[in-house]
Amino acid sequence: MREADFSILVIDENPDRAAVVERGLVEAGYVRVSLIGTSGNMVGRIQAMAPDVIIIDLENPDRDTLEQMFHVSRIVRRPIAMFVDQSGGAMVREAVEAGVSAYVVDGLRQERIKPIVEMAISRFAAFDTLRRERDDAHARLADRKVIDRAKGLLMKRKGLAEEDAYALLRRTAMQQNRKLVDIAQSVITAFEMDI
Amino acid sequence: MTTTLRIGFVPLIDCAIPVIAQDKGFAEEEGLRLDLVRENAWAATRDKVAYGVLDAAHMLAGIPVASILGLGGAAVPMIAPVALGLGGNAITVSTSLFQRMVQADPDAMAGPRVKSALALKKVIAGSREKLSFATVFPYSTHTYELRAWLAAGGIDPDRDVNLGVIAPPRMAGHLEAGWIDGYCVGEPWNLRTAARGTGVIVATKADIWPDSPEKVLAVRRDWAGEHPETVAALVRAMVRAAQWADAPANREELAAILARPDMVGGSAEVLRTALLPGSGGMGRHVFFRRNATVPWPDKAEWLIAQMVRWGQATPPVDAAALAAAVFRHDLYRQATESLGIEMPGG
Repeated sequence: MREADFSILVIDENPDRAAVVERGLVEAGYVRVSLIGTSGNMVGRIQAMAPDVIIIDLENPDRDTLEQMFHVSRIVRRPIAMFVDQSGGAMVREAVEAGVSAYVVDGLRQERIKPIVEMAISRFAAFDTLRRERDDAHARLADRKVIDRAKGLLMKRKGLAEEDAYALLRRTAMQQNRKLVDIAQSVITAFEMDI
Repeated sequence: MTTTLRIGFVPLIDCAIPVIAQDKGFAEEEGLRLDLVRENAWAATRDKVAYGVLDAAHMLAGIPVASILGLGGAAVPMIAPVALGLGGNAITVSTSLFQRMVQADPDAMAGPRVKSALALKKVIAGSREKLSFATVFPYSTHTYELRAWLAAGGIDPDRDVNLGVIAPPRMAGHLEAGWIDGYCVGEPWNLRTAARGTGVIVATKADIWPDSPEKVLAVRRDWAGEHPETVAALVRAMVRAAQWADAPANREELAAILARPDMVGGSAEVLRTALLPGSGGMGRHVFFRRNATVPWPDKAEWLIAQMVRWGQATPPVDAAALAAAVFRHDLYRQATESLGIEMPGG
């Protein structure tokens, strides 16, 4: 069997991440890639698909179900085992840290599976970075709203000009060694309490 | 100097010991800070300990035993230097199956619960569809308890029913949706279903095997070898937390701590029922009494015997030697000498 003919199943509750992994695998030349999310009939679908490789997010509770299923060989046509890196375990550790786990049909040579697992690891890691950046951007936007609101309150209630209001917040933050957004939040709270 | 350890736990009542060790300061007194990491399922918990993402975890006693036998997953050897209590599992069936069992054999349902599966056998004989049951992991006492209960009723667990695995937090939902007819899981996932009226408890661990092992604190064998002092400190913190959790006077507070959303969560009332004296649940959860924290090798040997009985492990297996290599009674004794704990036969 050529590598391109491997049937690969990606199981992920996060459809965005699954799509990122799928795209990576297809671009690398693996054409038989299928995706499933949370499914009431996971066992039935795996039986029907008979994949050579299953990539599943490490945290997915469906893994407990899968491991039982792979035990009972009469359920699946071919025995499936967890992917183990026989060259010292460094790659499995990387996979666990990235949140990836993989199961492969018994007997498939490790080095033929490695590129698939490597691809999944790098895509999971890239997805994680993207998500972190997005979360950071959201947090920054939320911070700016708080600061703008505090500035507005200082201008309206204390009659300060915009740049003076901002300078006051900054100076206070530096003096107290606190974050600007924390000072802004304190200002808002103080005005809300009307003191 | 404080050593920080990452400790995994699954939201079940018997995560109480590591939770209390951190919350009530027993870890701190041993120079440890426990970062408690909530996990939703067992395979992920096992792999995170095996590959060092977690230092230790609240784990099914069968998982380190399986790891030493080379079964399941990547099989990085793990050991158990301390056990985390006894009891807490039960078998729950859907309300409709319960009614069919009562109809089929009222005598069996009125008798000792260990034999209530006799009624199930009659239900199975009269039904066309195979009934489906679930436990929480292939190598769990839940699996062996459910299989023993079925076998005591004359039911062949491998032929007469479908037997699958579902992670504990998903169990009640699957029963409610009608995807399974019954399950064996730890609390609070039985009492919660009973409280909702969607299922009925037909047997508890106490009915089947009261002293069978349950959860342990599992660590990687290599890691334990490299950090003997830390392991000893961890064992002492767990044992003292278990003593605290066992005291009836502390159970109310324990229920409140476990009810926090980042711990077990859910209904505080169900947790109180499971833990408080006189509410029907006391006795199901033993944290310290009856040597509940001691990792007796004969308990690991019992687990190996179950694995062989149900075809998970292939004989010949040197059960006694393997059991002593995974349930580390010796490490427990060394660590707890200073606590003055009496251990019969130790």
